[in-house]
Amino acid sequence: MVAAAQHPNIEILTYSEVEAVDGFVGNFQVTIRKKARLLDESKCTGCGLCEEKCPGRATSEFEEGLAKRKSIYKPFPQAVPNLPVLDKNSCRLFTKGKCGVCKKICPTGAIDYEQQDEIITENFGAIVMATGYDLFEWQEVYGEYGYGKYPDVITGLQFERMNNAAGFTGGKIIRPSDGKEPKTVVFIKCVGSRDEAKGKAYCSRTCCMYTAKHAHQVIEKIPDSQAIVFYMDIRTPGKAYEEFAQRSIEEGAVYVRGRVSRVYQHGDKLIVKGEDTLLGKPVEVEADLVVLATAMVPSRDAKAIAKVVGIGTDQDGFFQEAHPKLRPVETHTAGVYIAGACQGPKDIPDTVAQASAAAVKVCSLFSKTEMATDPMVADVNLAICSGCGMCVPVCPYKAIELVPKAERVNGKQIERLVAQVNSGLCQGCGACNAACRAGAINVKGYTDDQILAEVDAICL
Amino acid sequence: MKRVGVFVCHCGTNIAKTVDVEQVAKVAGDLPNVVFSTDYTYMCSEPGQDLLKKATAEHNLDRCVVACCTPRLHEPTFRKAFESAGGNPYLLEIANIREQCAWVHNDREKATAKAHDLVRGAVAKVRRNFPLSTSTIPITSKALVIGAGIAGMQAAIDIADAGYKVVLLDREPTIGGKMVQLDKTFPTLDCSA
Repeated sequence: MVAAAQHPNIEILTYSEVEAVDGFVGNFQVTIRKKARLLDESKCTGCGLCEEKCPGRATSEFEEGLAKRKSIYKPFPQAVPNLPVLDKNSCRLFTKGKCGVCKKICPTGAIDYEQQDEIITENFGAIVMATGYDLFEWQEVYGEYGYGKYPDVITGLQFERMNNAAGFTGGKIIRPSDGKEPKTVVFIKCVGSRDEAKGKAYCSRTCCMYTAKHAHQVIEKIPDSQAIVFYMDIRTPGKAYEEFAQRSIEEGAVYVRGRVSRVYQHGDKLIVKGEDTLLGKPVEVEADLVVLATAMVPSRDAKAIAKVVGIGTDQDGFFQEAHPKLRPVETHTAGVYIAGACQGPKDIPDTVAQASAAAVKVCSLFSKTEMATDPMVADVNLAICSGCGMCVPVCPYKAIELVPKAERVNGKQIERLVAQVNSGLCQGCGACNAACRAGAINVKGYTDDQILAEVDAICL
Repeated sequence: MKRVGVFVCHCGTNIAKTVDVEQVAKVAGDLPNVVFSTDYTYMCSEPGQDLLKKATAEHNLDRCVVACCTPRLHEPTFRKAFESAGGNPYLLEIANIREQCAWVHNDREKATAKAHDLVRGAVAKVRRNFPLSTSTIPITSKALVIGAGIAGMQAAIDIADAGYKVVLLDREPTIGGKMVQLDKTFPTLDCSA
């Protein structure tokens, strides 16, 4: 994080979203909305006084809903850039019309309640998509685990937050319901993964390993504790992974092969009912805390950004690579590359490898000042183009526009509209070719004349 | 006068098992404008490409048809080979007699007849092809990375290290993504921030 922040060639644009992408490989024009933080970034020193004095409270997204934050806040102390953001939805001034403490207290006068979003348009030669993942919303479908109504049934990411030394508990593992230290912690794997009926058919690939880590941390941090892991399979295909998982088991983590059928509250305990399929016996555990290893799903709005950038998604909504084996970080849109969990569930080593691979693709594109284009693109016969414009809306690459053409007819100077193809944008798909009623557009290398000659030779 | 060469690939036994490749090559020799036709075990191998280059020079070919696997696989290979022998790469056609013929049929006689048809069609098309040439477009050497988690940060750093400008964008108020929410990471248990 620090390396990216310090790099002289990297400009960081946070709190920003891509609104539109025009152009083509080597020449994308990107429109970016820089959302208003409601403060003047050039004046703010990141001193934190506003956050300290702010009376507004909201649920912390960064702490996965387990803690509160202020209305003007930095997500975490090492945030880059070191700037707060004012959340209008919980701010007293915006919700109740009365407050303004942050503005009064700010020593540099940086707070600006009137600030508007800023629209930036910039040119880029290549785009790397690295939009990551979100967690499967288990509360919607897993009624047997309580639909999210038991506070002590949490996700792996929530467990990470309380386990993190920089987190809201200072690294202490607690029960969210009463803040007590749990003695028996049950981990349930494959919640939403490998469960086509309720979730996704795929394996999320990281859960076996982070659950092994969590079990290890419970045993290490809590004296006389018990970590019980319910699993379908233990999948550890990675360097030093199997050894790591075995270490957790040797340390005392109890692995039970089987699915959990029900979790319910009983007094201040959670009763976990399942089956040990190796023994063929039902199992019942009295737990203090239950941690669910929920599936990785594409980041929210992944489909929307895919549409804006012009790339495809697969059946699960992850970005579609150009070839699963030979072109794993390229997309079908030239100049747009993908890296990390936006392409499919993966762990950090694989993500880093893919990110470097995508970077190499970008660098090899940038190593030349110009690139060769495929000549098999649409071509307009201006003599017979009627300017009807049918081709314009059917083009998926926005490569065709109607332009005026001046010419002399019967000695008179006239001007008429004709279709014009941008050969940089055209991908040679032929949609315009089929739509053109006058037969004026042909794709070079696949002209009507050439295709008909081939068909005739086969059929006649 | 157009001069077409036809090259029929066996693809080991992938094609030759189901299609009588020798016969396909022989019959192709009688098609209009075809001045040379042959068959070979692996057209994509180096000797196979050399065969195409040599025949192009010897028979003064200006167009080629390679009857082989899908153009997705080796059209670029044969276009390059033909270009290096002085031909225009867009005056080369592929007749897909593997995926669209040998792999989907069992009857050798009927498959061979279909291969004849496909080759005849490709020859008819290549006779009408005209030379094409590539043009060039300029490149803006600046990258946009959308998402500043571990994937985005790593990609941005690598591109930036190569000397190119990068904009690293995230919708959240900070970079770091999910990665910075994590405690120690497996399997080495090092810090993630």
